[in-house]
Amino acid sequence: MLNDKKFLKNLLKVHNRNDIFFIVFAFIIVAIFYIAPTPDGLTHNGQVMIGILIMAAILWITEAIPLAVTGLLIMIIQPMLHVMSPDEVFTSFGNQAIFFLIGAFILAGAIEKHGLHRRIALKFLSYFEKTPRFFTLGIMTSCAFLSFIMPGHGVAALFLPIIASILIAMKIVPKQSNFGKISMLCVAFGCSIGSLGTLIGGARNIYAVGVLSDIGINITFFDWMKYSMPVVLIALPLVWVVLQFSFPMELKDISAARKEINNQVSEQGKMSKNEYIVLGILIITILLWIFFSSDQYFGLAVIAILGCVLLFLTGVVNWKDVEKRVPWGIILLYGGAITLGIGIYETGAGTWIADKIFIIAGVNIYIVILMMIILTVLLTNVMSNIGAVAILLPIGIAVAPTAGLNPLVSSMIIALSGGLAFMFVVATPGNAIAYSSGYFSIRDLFKAGIFANIICIVIVYLVALLYWIGVLGLNIT
Amino acid sequence: MFKNVLIPISSEFYNKNVLERGFSLAEKFKSKINLIYIIEEKTLNQTDRLTNSYRTPYEIAETKKEIIREQKMAADNIIFDDAKHFFNNKKIPFDSKIYQGEFSRVIKNELKNKDYDLILMGFNKECILHYRLFDEANTPIWVVNKNDGKSILAVCSNLAPNIKVPDISLKLSKLLNLELNMIYVIDIEDSVQVDEKIKRSDKKTEKDLMFIAQGFLQKMEEKGIKVLLLKGSFEKELIKATEKFNPRIVIIGREQKKKGFLGLPVKDLKRKIVEKCNYSILYLN
Repeated sequence: MLNDKKFLKNLLKVHNRNDIFFIVFAFIIVAIFYIAPTPDGLTHNGQVMIGILIMAAILWITEAIPLAVTGLLIMIIQPMLHVMSPDEVFTSFGNQAIFFLIGAFILAGAIEKHGLHRRIALKFLSYFEKTPRFFTLGIMTSCAFLSFIMPGHGVAALFLPIIASILIAMKIVPKQSNFGKISMLCVAFGCSIGSLGTLIGGARNIYAVGVLSDIGINITFFDWMKYSMPVVLIALPLVWVVLQFSFPMELKDISAARKEINNQVSEQGKMSKNEYIVLGILIITILLWIFFSSDQYFGLAVIAILGCVLLFLTGVVNWKDVEKRVPWGIILLYGGAITLGIGIYETGAGTWIADKIFIIAGVNIYIVILMMIILTVLLTNVMSNIGAVAILLPIGIAVAPTAGLNPLVSSMIIALSGGLAFMFVVATPGNAIAYSSGYFSIRDLFKAGIFANIICIVIVYLVALLYWIGVLGLNIT
Repeated sequence: MFKNVLIPISSEFYNKNVLERGFSLAEKFKSKINLIYIIEEKTLNQTDRLTNSYRTPYEIAETKKEIIREQKMAADNIIFDDAKHFFNNKKIPFDSKIYQGEFSRVIKNELKNKDYDLILMGFNKECILHYRLFDEANTPIWVVNKNDGKSILAVCSNLAPNIKVPDISLKLSKLLNLELNMIYVIDIEDSVQVDEKIKRSDKKTEKDLMFIAQGFLQKMEEKGIKVLLLKGSFEKELIKATEKFNPRIVIIGREQKKKGFLGLPVKDLKRKIVEKCNYSILYLN
């Protein structure tokens, strides 16, 4: 009895009371779905999968346990409840997309280790040091560009000290200067928008590719860019304009920023041999991804791992660097998310949910697309991006055939909208990192974020209808 | 009166007006200013928590280091620089330190280590600070706001012992050469009387409260202070009065309001008053 009390005390130390409530609540939901009578048109396994989906949503939104542990929980709970066999669950975890993810992280780690990202960032910024407005556009563009080749939150972490030291050199007072607000918001929003552009930008992109490949739709690195780049290229300047309107610029002189950038550039000195090697391998890998990542050639993962092997062979990274810089947590999170997607799809739970949605809302392709975008944007603003995409993507794929949509279109809509987390600090790590600078308030982020989100919803909607369906002809299943 | 002034500035919010007010008080009272800059732990923890699944412990530690470095740089190059400009020019003694921790906790530790007569600070409702300090510190807290009138508004009520407020208001009005206005609010939502030991009585009738208020008014009249008697919700009447008198400073005592509209519990009263009031407030804790 005494031991039980001690155990409970320790448990309460690890988790606060709210966390324990949400964990228990999540398990109760699964239990209810397991024992409740099954409605018409849904299998028992499908019903349990819906319970697991709700459990995942609760745990990902509340973060009562680490996101990655929720991923592991999803993987083990399916065989435990006999919804899917252990083989099926762990086979989907062995998807080639996961090795692409590992490879991309090692590549990003090499870039970070040798400071190549900092050099690229400063070079980029130096082209924009003409006027304060143009400079903020430079911040946004640089963040977006770097988010094409490394994860968005890594780019935010890189830009935080660069921009902060420029603002401090300019004596910009935190939270009081609109220039300071726009600069730091450009970091947050630039990283988010840029992370849509390529498969490396965010794990949710590769998650969508992974789920699609499991249902027989293969997307190459270039295919992804073909679909996503119009959204990025339109959203970047428009969101920048939103920021200019939200916070009228009070500054006219940028000379102090110019001086600080020059100082930082001169501090870096000449490019080292290792930086050249990393840059060379990065260019080779990206070119291979663009031209040879289809299944008839090498596939995404082989090229990613090839890039990593080259990094090891040339000695620019070692295993210690991998241990330091590869976030295994996100890979476990990804694993859980992909098994969830497959489970929802294969048990027919997704189709059942889609049917129910259509009974309530009716079938109208335009409304279906708009609702998908809005729902994903709302969800990604209150939980992790990959979690939001993991919950909605299986439903989106199931909805597509009845709505007369290609599953590729619904997947792209959800994956891209999943990156549009602009409104809250907790929405994405990039926002939290930029917020920690102290240059903008929670209200500033919300004020700019809500308009940025509305603009981006319209952009994704129009790109989906006019470009993907209209120009590329991805309309009918 | 305010010989040793503590000015805490959080990495979450910096208001230059606080230094300006600190400067004018120090000139008047020959005070020593102790400026502390607090790198807000909550912001650091929030960033850690949100990025822990996406980034490795090494990367998180690196980012944390960068954030702290950047905050220290901002303190040195912007805030302490402004302080030097204000205080050094007039040879006002001042000391500056940087701490890392939770805003209220750091200030409470500082109060334990050194005797301060006043905490002079800014306020921003849009940041993640909790401002528990308003209820937990025993030192007077002066919350600086941008509106600047030409009088002092002293606030008394059935919810406080009303001992310090009249005395200090009178002293300050003479020292700062500001007209003194005083109000006494009978809070009808929480109809108790708080005594000198800050003990709350049982619920009283409006008539009883009015009787006590009249006694207080008479006492003040003997001191030459005219008091405006108001009846209603303490915080609402207070805000209305500030708009009427346009004061430079509102002086409030140890109000113990526990019940609000329909008898619902009231939490963070002092914080809410600061949020709604457009004028500087001095809490005589």
